Amino acid sequence: MTTVELKDLKTVPDPIHQYPKTVRSSALPLVIDNGSYNCRVGWSINKEPLMIFKNIIAKPRKERGKKDGETQVGNDITNIEAVRFQLKTQFDRNVVTHFEAQEQVFDYVFSHLGIDTEGSVNHPMVVTEAFLNPNYSRHLMSELLFECYGVPSVCYGVDALFSFQHNHPNCKTALIVNCSYHTTHILPFIDGRVDPTRARRINIGGFHIINYLHRLLQLKYPAHYTAITPSRAEELVHDQTFVAEHYMEELSRWADTDYYEAHVVRVQLPYTIAPVAPGLSAEQQRERRRELARRLVEINARKREERLAEDEEQLNQLLAVQDLVEEGEEEEFQQALDSYGLSNLADLQKMISQLQTRIEKTRQKIVAANTTEEPIVEEPKTKSKILKPKDQEEFDTWIADIRHKRQEILDKRNARRQRRQDMARRRTAAAQERMRLISQLARKEKRDDTFGMRDEDWDVYKAINKEGGDSDSDEEQKLLDLEEVLRQHDPEFEDPSAGNAATTAETHQLHVGVEKLRAPEILFQPSMIGSGEAGLAETIEFMLRGFSPEDQAALVSNVFLTGGCSTLPGLEARLRRELQEMRPFKTTFEVTLASNPSLNAWHGARTFAASDMLQKYLMSREEYEENGGDYFKEHSASNLYYPSPVPLPQAEVPAPLGGEDIEIDPF
Amino acid sequence: MVKRKRPNTPVGDGDSAPSSVNGSGIPSPVSVDASADEEKRPIFKDSNFQHTSKSSNKKRAWRSLKQIIAQERALPWKDDCVHYSCIDAPPSFKPPKKYSDISGLLAKYTDPQTKLYYAMAEEFSTIRCLPMDITAGYLALRRANNPMG
Repeated sequence: MTTVELKDLKTVPDPIHQYPKTVRSSALPLVIDNGSYNCRVGWSINKEPLMIFKNIIAKPRKERGKKDGETQVGNDITNIEAVRFQLKTQFDRNVVTHFEAQEQVFDYVFSHLGIDTEGSVNHPMVVTEAFLNPNYSRHLMSELLFECYGVPSVCYGVDALFSFQHNHPNCKTALIVNCSYHTTHILPFIDGRVDPTRARRINIGGFHIINYLHRLLQLKYPAHYTAITPSRAEELVHDQTFVAEHYMEELSRWADTDYYEAHVVRVQLPYTIAPVAPGLSAEQQRERRRELARRLVEINARKREERLAEDEEQLNQLLAVQDLVEEGEEEEFQQALDSYGLSNLADLQKMISQLQTRIEKTRQKIVAANTTEEPIVEEPKTKSKILKPKDQEEFDTWIADIRHKRQEILDKRNARRQRRQDMARRRTAAAQERMRLISQLARKEKRDDTFGMRDEDWDVYKAINKEGGDSDSDEEQKLLDLEEVLRQHDPEFEDPSAGNAATTAETHQLHVGVEKLRAPEILFQPSMIGSGEAGLAETIEFMLRGFSPEDQAALVSNVFLTGGCSTLPGLEARLRRELQEMRPFKTTFEVTLASNPSLNAWHGARTFAASDMLQKYLMSREEYEENGGDYFKEHSASNLYYPSPVPLPQAEVPAPLGGEDIEIDPF
Repeated sequence: MVKRKRPNTPVGDGDSAPSSVNGSGIPSPVSVDASADEEKRPIFKDSNFQHTSKSSNKKRAWRSLKQIIAQERALPWKDDCVHYSCIDAPPSFKPPKKYSDISGLLAKYTDPQTKLYYAMAEEFSTIRCLPMDITAGYLALRRANNPMG
């Protein structure tokens, strides 16, 4: 068992690079590996890409009254989770579809390279694209590069093929397996060209693995739903997951508890120790109660005083009325009596005396309340009903008794829970019993009814209650009391609640066990995420069947593995095993892994850009304008050019800047 | 999305006229954000550029891959042409294996109530205690959920 801390790496914003004079004047080719996960950019003279950043854009939502936030691209986004819902990418699967986003990415790239030439980016471009990139998408990409950035010439290539060229420069036949972020390509490379008719693409990649692990962990730990973020899942995929060589065997090993314990990884989520222990201490509770009591006393006092004032007021009025009689003003007196709803003098006098006694009482009460200001002395609640006996022997029986009591309550509770569940479903014994009772009850009402004569009769309602009888908050309280006693006196007592929650750290740990191999397995078994596609091995087998035995042998003799996902440990070994299973007995095959699966595509493109071949394969702006947007020049690492049978709808629209812009071409 | 208000420079001399920003040639670290704001528009861009597919339809500017593929398939390609949707992986011919939804182990049983797979008795009791949203989440993960019930 190991415990790992999450790194939660923050990206470092890209610096703005120098734009040296030599680069500026020499029209040096720029190499962009535009992948759906990372974008890698560098000049053809660089050994390694100058910039590597996630191909994503965060555009803050417009808020009224606020200034528009700044759009962030790639490594500008230091905390992806903060802007998770504003993220955009130019990709739909492995194809660029959103060219406004692509434009923002290019802006980011060119400005960070320090390019400051006015009105154009005066460098030929080598850009990677998806295998069999739709003409529509390429057309828009060319349009963007030529017409927005004034790029002199462009060359497109396929990332997998560039990576292959980099690793096997002179190899003519191979089976290229490119496991990337959204897709997995299997490309048969025969006699120096990919055979596209028999190539296959599985629409599963690293993105799906990350997503799968993310959801699995969220469902396993609903309490940490928000703490389990996609970027953390990504980190776990990068650091912890592996491809099992024999998935079934590995699974059966994990089924063993000892093996699980030994190999599970505990991932520590960040946490803060709760500032106050949950629940109030006894002292605080007493304080709170006292406070409440005081407030009640105050309210009462205020009420009493109000009543007193009211009564005194009425008394004065009544006395005034009485005075009227003494002064002999009969008429007014009668009026006043009517207004109080009284009939004669006797009533009035009675009412006056009543009022007087009431006032007297209230006064007394006020005095009493003021003198006994602190009457409520808290008696500690009688927890002392469970006292610890002194004698050891007695203690043992006592504690056993308490344990027994607690167990009884627990059993009862479990039984209740079980019954509730059973009753919720039809066709269980419990549910049938309930229905029987109900029908019996209904029948009884008809004839002479003795129901309710005995107290026990009413218990039947407990029995038919769907909640499974009384919930018994009393018993819950008793249980808590018992547990409290046990916690104090019983050394063997394992606290069900606090026992597991011994430390906050442990409650914030994710146990990543089977998930380590389960997540990457979707490459081989897409059915695990409900996809009907064949897995990697099955697709390879399917594809090989389309070739003659000689070609099959030639292909498997050089299986080349590239793409970000092939950095998963064990993928190479797994592929070997699968090939061994599908190939005839005693035939040979070879699997090689790219020297740097995620960067080799850029390296290959760079080598290509630095070679003399480039000039031949660059498509200039004139060629773009003449041949239409889907045109490009084929080369050893490119797609095949299939001109669209019907001009693309956009191609018909004459480019607004038409022929007048040609002079920017430096060649 | 991004509205561009561009100065109405005459068409055609986008690269000879000073671009709408500052005309100086200083390698200004203009766009730490690369947003195409009017003032911050990078110097190297053609100030008159507009995506052709953008202007035609304001509301739904960018076609999704699905639409692009559908459009591509509808074209009268020659027989030897291969395009994006031609190389989709074949459907799996093997019966999908069942794995316990909660533990990932090989599952022998299915809970008739929740429809979750499980490997052993202990898992069963765990499954029965799971709240609805979790069981629904597990089913959705392998696309076995039926929203209609």
